Amino acid sequence: MSEFLQFLLTGITTGAIYGLIALGFNVLYNATDLINFAQGEFVMLGGLGFYTLGVVLGWPLGLSFAAAVAAVSLLGLLLERVALRPVKKPEPLPLIIITVGASIFLRGVAMRLWGKDPYSVPGLTASAEPVKVFGAAVMPQSLWIVGIVVAFMVGLHLFGKRTLTGKAMEACAIHRNAAWILGIPSDRMVLLAFAFSAGLGAVGGVIIAPITMCSYDMGTMLGLKGFCAAMLGGLGSHWGAAVGGVLLGVLESLAVGYFSSGIKDAVAFLVLLGILFVRPAGLLGASAVKRF
Amino acid sequence: MSSRARLYSTGIFALGIVAVGLGVSNPYEQQLLTIIGIHTLLALGLNMLMGYAGQISLGHAAFFGLGAYGTGIFTTHFQWSPWASLPVVLVTSCLVGYAIGRPILRLSGYYLAMGTLGLGIIAHVIFREWDTFTGGASGLVGIPPLVVGRLVLGLGRTGFFAVWATVVLFFVLCGRLVDSRIGRALRALGDSPGAAAASGIHTAHLKAVIFSFSAVMAALAGYLYAHLLGFISPSSFDFLMSIRMVTMVVIGGMASIWGSLLGASVITLLPEWLHVFSDYEMMAYGLILMVVMIFLPQGLTRGVLDAFQRARTLRGAASS
Amino acid sequence: MGTQKPFLAIDGVSKAFGGIQALYQVSFDVQERHIHALIGPNGAGKTTLFNVISGAFPPDEGSIRLDGTDIQGCPMHELVRLGIARTFQNVELFAGMSVLENVLVGCHSRTRCGLIGAMARWPWVVREERRARQRAMELLDMVGLADSAHKRAVDLPFGWQRLVEIARALAAEPKLLLLDEPAAGLNAVETEKLSRLIQHIRASGITVLLVEHDMNLTMDISDRIVVLDRGRKLAEGTPREIQSSDAVMEAYLGKKQ
Ligand SMILES: Nc1ncnc2c1ncn2[C@@H]1O[C@H](COP(=O)(O)OP(=O)(O)OP(=O)(O)O)[C@@H](O)[C@H]1O
Ligand SMILES: [Mg+2]
Repeated sequence: MSEFLQFLLTGITTGAIYGLIALGFNVLYNATDLINFAQGEFVMLGGLGFYTLGVVLGWPLGLSFAAAVAAVSLLGLLLERVALRPVKKPEPLPLIIITVGASIFLRGVAMRLWGKDPYSVPGLTASAEPVKVFGAAVMPQSLWIVGIVVAFMVGLHLFGKRTLTGKAMEACAIHRNAAWILGIPSDRMVLLAFAFSAGLGAVGGVIIAPITMCSYDMGTMLGLKGFCAAMLGGLGSHWGAAVGGVLLGVLESLAVGYFSSGIKDAVAFLVLLGILFVRPAGLLGASAVKRF
Repeated sequence: MSSRARLYSTGIFALGIVAVGLGVSNPYEQQLLTIIGIHTLLALGLNMLMGYAGQISLGHAAFFGLGAYGTGIFTTHFQWSPWASLPVVLVTSCLVGYAIGRPILRLSGYYLAMGTLGLGIIAHVIFREWDTFTGGASGLVGIPPLVVGRLVLGLGRTGFFAVWATVVLFFVLCGRLVDSRIGRALRALGDSPGAAAASGIHTAHLKAVIFSFSAVMAALAGYLYAHLLGFISPSSFDFLMSIRMVTMVVIGGMASIWGSLLGASVITLLPEWLHVFSDYEMMAYGLILMVVMIFLPQGLTRGVLDAFQRARTLRGAASS
Repeated sequence: MGTQKPFLAIDGVSKAFGGIQALYQVSFDVQERHIHALIGPNGAGKTTLFNVISGAFPPDEGSIRLDGTDIQGCPMHELVRLGIARTFQNVELFAGMSVLENVLVGCHSRTRCGLIGAMARWPWVVREERRARQRAMELLDMVGLADSAHKRAVDLPFGWQRLVEIARALAAEPKLLLLDEPAAGLNAVETEKLSRLIQHIRASGITVLLVEHDMNLTMDISDRIVVLDRGRKLAEGTPREIQSSDAVMEAYLGKKQ
């Protein structure tokens, strides 16, 4: 029983990260209909950036956290300006290849800057003593992770419902041109969405780094899992992202615990395929599936 | 293209291959050209699915691996002759392709992309983890070569001709396919699924059929790959391989048979050329992908043709 | 004529999209070899009814019978085989194809060559293809576009694109042809030609169900007219009866005066 609980808690921790990455996908998808295959690289850059600032340069952890996230957000802006804005006819397939290209490029940059070795990164609190919860050990970092993810979920929800910018973003998502005619600077909303989504990825990277170590190639799978979580919940649905992420994390952790660690990566996608066959638009998605 | 033009161009192409095959004697270059041929088969099959029928697949390395591991397992664990395993591998990939294609192609857009991507990753995990049969992460060794009479097909000139003969065969077959009732139905499906269905096309069946066809082509490429190299490992059939296949199609040119050849060549040669950049290789590769897609979203074939066209009009304007 | 068994029987068909009741309990019969018009103001539900008949989506309730058989739940491609072909209000030609190829796609349900056959090119496949091309050219000739056969369909003027769509639908050798506003975007001369074309189609034994806003055309060639308004059937009768019906004039024609 306590073993099960242990797996469950581990699963919730990774699941929360998947959910956060999925949230990043959703923010961008809602504003631009785009899936950014370089999202996982933002996660990786967040983690490695945090390592350099916090460990190598010895900045205070809070400051390193904020600076790493800010830098990656800027990178998100840059990606939009340099690689996606110049595309004349934004059709999905070329856009997918461009973001895949961007992800390979960023991975290449990271390999050049940080090398191929994984780094270990300190948690957000100094104490490494696990906390006991019903007989299962929980790392303080896990609490941080769940707390931060919940905070972002609630924050994003309030942002969307309570603030003008949030509502404007939603309007852009529903109808870009109509929003533009109403005087919403849809252009700026797209930029904002890019920055925001990249930033969310970076936050994921910073908080997961102490658990998994971080290296230049950590992003690909994390990105795909996050995408998977977003799909599971239904693209564009924030609560769906959270549900999908936690579901994935828990199933993965149980599969690893009870079977073998080799099948870890297959679990997420088996679940996804199973659910897509029954509900082609995800658990919480609208019934109409978006076409290319 | 008219069928006569296709006939001539394929004839010239075949002659060119004979010339290259006889002319190139450097083993490294022979090997590289053979791999390009295998990649051309992959790209061509995927182009039928993506370029013509408009259905994306980010997991086609699964079928490449199915062909390679299928024949690898039959010939090493069960001592089958490679020729006996060929029909079994092809029929299996055909059936598996249809059985998977039918449900998965109900999805569309990003959901289809993700569904197929998942398929590829699951297949890769199976190749890596089912080590009693697949040899696990370290791979499967000792796959026997193909033998024709007394000729043993290896990675050199013999392999080159075997692979490129297959490529020419499939150029002819796919050319015929594109110009047929089925080819038109595929393009109709890619253009407007609603109007295609209203014209009497059984879209769900057709999608699964072409998915299955591209699976067979990928499996055939895998079969050749396994027997020519004699050794396979899961890393050749991973997510990145699937992405590389899609990239070949898109960079070369969607819905273009020659584009598949061009795309496969570029994507195979690019890493070789980029070796000079050593540490910057990955960056350069990503950068080139981005630049080509930003400026030539139709792919190189169309992009180059358009450039020619423009040059000709310009010259025409200048001379008059 | 009048007591014949109906060729197409629409019985109590309803369809709602969210809160919009696009069709509500619509019933009427179409006789074989008639030109039957369906008119009504914008948003009346005409296209929705076409979509239901051609199998794009099922009705919420009600049934549709073609030649006595219930076609409820039949997939679209099956309905084409049974003899229902249609055109679209917003022309849906295949953009990457020539005019001829577009019409050839229409032959799909009447030809058999499969994937293997296409690659093997058996003699029967070659013969079938030749016959299909011949038939497609005949149809293009019939709609007056034989000269444009090898142009890209989307490069033609809009009115001609409608004719290509009609040829494509006819290539499926339908028994029932659904035309959704075929005259929209045509000038007077072209409309006159279209009117003759539709009558010619009927004369060749095909039943035509026509949605059209051009009243002269409709009144001219229809045998019977059904008027829809906000999803309900408002009236039904011969063109003369419809023209003299006050309710119809008010709901529909009245706007024009
Ligand atoms: N797929 C759909 N989803 C949601 N609403 C729809 C859909 N199709 C039609 N409607 C709605 O149903 C109603 C009837 O539309 P329909 O297109 O059938 O009208 P119509 O009679 O063809 O009009 P028009 O003369 O403008 O072509 C309209 O209010 C329309 O907005
Ligand atoms: Mg309409």
